[in-house]
Amino acid sequence: MTMTGSVHQLSRSKRLPAKVRGLILVRDQGLLMLWIAIVILFAYLAAPYFFTVATGIAMLNSASIASIYAAGLAVGVMTGVFDLSVPGTAALAGVVTALLLRAGVPVWAAILAGLLIGVLVGIVNALIVIKGFDPLIVTIAMLSVLSGTSLILAGGNNVSGLQGLTFMGTQTYLWIPAPVYIALALFLVLTVFLKTTRAGMRLLAVGGNAEAARRVGIPVSRYRVLGFSISALCAALGGIVTSAYVTTASPGASVSIVFDGMTAVALAGIPFIGGRGSLPRVALGAIVVATISTGLLLTGVQTYWSSIATGVLLVGGLALNMWTSRTATNLLLTGDTGKRAVE
Amino acid sequence: MRNERAFELESITVHYGHARALEDVDLHVAEGEVVALLGDNGAGKSTLLKVMSGAHRPTAGRIHAHGAEVDFRSPKDAAAAGVQMVYQDLALVDAMDIAANLSLGREHVVKGPLGRLGVLDRRRMRKESQAELDALGVRTAPMTRPVELLSGGQRQVVAIARAAARLGERGVLLLDEPTAALGHEQTELVEDLIRALAVKGTAIVIVTHNLPLAMAVSDRVVVLNRGRKVGDIATSLADQDRVVSWITGAAVQGD
Ligand SMILES: Nc1ncnc2c1ncn2[C@@H]1O[C@H](COP(=O)(O)OP(=O)(O)O)[C@@H](O)[C@H]1O
Ligand SMILES: [Mg+2]
Repeated sequence: MTMTGSVHQLSRSKRLPAKVRGLILVRDQGLLMLWIAIVILFAYLAAPYFFTVATGIAMLNSASIASIYAAGLAVGVMTGVFDLSVPGTAALAGVVTALLLRAGVPVWAAILAGLLIGVLVGIVNALIVIKGFDPLIVTIAMLSVLSGTSLILAGGNNVSGLQGLTFMGTQTYLWIPAPVYIALALFLVLTVFLKTTRAGMRLLAVGGNAEAARRVGIPVSRYRVLGFSISALCAALGGIVTSAYVTTASPGASVSIVFDGMTAVALAGIPFIGGRGSLPRVALGAIVVATISTGLLLTGVQTYWSSIATGVLLVGGLALNMWTSRTATNLLLTGDTGKRAVE
Repeated sequence: MRNERAFELESITVHYGHARALEDVDLHVAEGEVVALLGDNGAGKSTLLKVMSGAHRPTAGRIHAHGAEVDFRSPKDAAAAGVQMVYQDLALVDAMDIAANLSLGREHVVKGPLGRLGVLDRRRMRKESQAELDALGVRTAPMTRPVELLSGGQRQVVAIARAAARLGERGVLLLDEPTAALGHEQTELVEDLIRALAVKGTAIVIVTHNLPLAMAVSDRVVVLNRGRKVGDIATSLADQDRVVSWITGAAVQGD
């Protein structure tokens, strides 16, 4: 069968214009370049303490615990889910696991229980949000409820003596502490899930354009439940690993978890409107934050500067990301790419 | 054989409270026919499309698809009857590539145990997406190009192709302002796509403000004015000035 009309081909179809490709490179690789620049800067400013294996490993360790939370927040943000209850979930999961361990429950069962509590929190969050309540308010309320619950469970005290969890806390394997491996495994699993599975693809579609997903028959609510559950599961894992690392579960929810995690997410260039983002860059974002705070510490600068530097960096990163994306889209939409289309 | 009544609306009335959006409107479209639905702002075009796509139930009136009476309670019902709508906002997922957008909601997974885990068969999705676009005679861009990096016309083509791929045989395609934001060359791309779909037997209704587009691409023009049908004429017999006078309400057909 022949078609009426000619086969159209716009001249710019096959290759993107050089200008646009340049912008995309900056958008995608900017964070890596930034990190390299920061490392070089501190290697010079904080010599000879900064550029050492010991510092590197310590930095990697703190980055990996932060990145576990950041991974959950990132998947949430990509799915269009803003989960502020993460610190509460982390505290509750840590406390529950610790109390079960003290009660003589096997290690694996105690960890599993902590993780399941996380998933449960995620499902409850999602079910409330689906009813049409603002996710910010719902998850703040949940944060409040969860920190109260874990304080009650723990009787207001830290639960210490978690030697049973050393294998996932302070233990090192090939000189590298356990949390680094856990974070790596988590990022690997989540990245593969988002990139290669149907559920991952639909999750991103719901985050990117819920209306579009709904119109092609995707059950949007179910994927919101999944998004909240992943976020909460990561929070619970982070809480358990943190308790393992300090061999103490603290029932107080530490809100800085959300701040640091969201900083890593934003540095990774993940727009808070959802639908896109690369998890490996979230890990890099967490590493950048850890590098700055470690570097400033070793330089002997007052620690307050570290939080100012992070904030400035955050806004700078957002601005760069917004500018590159907008410019690229404008160039393409108007077709004003410097070349005229030839029929 | 060509079915003259692929999709038929009879005495459709829609009231929004006291507002009368549509009053006793008849409309039919044949297989392979392109009907342009024209009218000023507020004339009732979007409301009529919503009735046809199952997004809004009419206050009164009947709908027939291929001769059988249907009662659309949701866009899902309409889709099951072979009616697909392309909204003006296109509803594409910007960060995803063309293949993913075309496959979304009916993704392929690989064979075997990995497939049961839901692992996507991206290669097959790319191939089928390419085949779907090829069948329509349009080339847009590589299937792996994110939609956000497409031109306006290319986006429109992807949105129309997505709807077309879900139509099945003898489908009905509804387009809301398909060229509103497009330049000349891109409008031509969309025009050719619409004609190609009509040749395949798709019944098409286009809502548009673009009179030249309507005249170029349609077989028949239908004009609404303040909720009533004031003109319905074969495009080859339509005089542009008269159509304009129907749109503005200066005249009705038969004057
Ligand atoms: N949801 C609604 N509620 C009340 N009135 C509406 C609604 N939608 C449309 N209308 C009214 O119905 C009439 C037709 O609107 P519409 O179908 O959007 O026209 P068009 O698409 O031709 O511009 C207008 O007077 C409009 O104000
Ligand atoms: Mg309208």
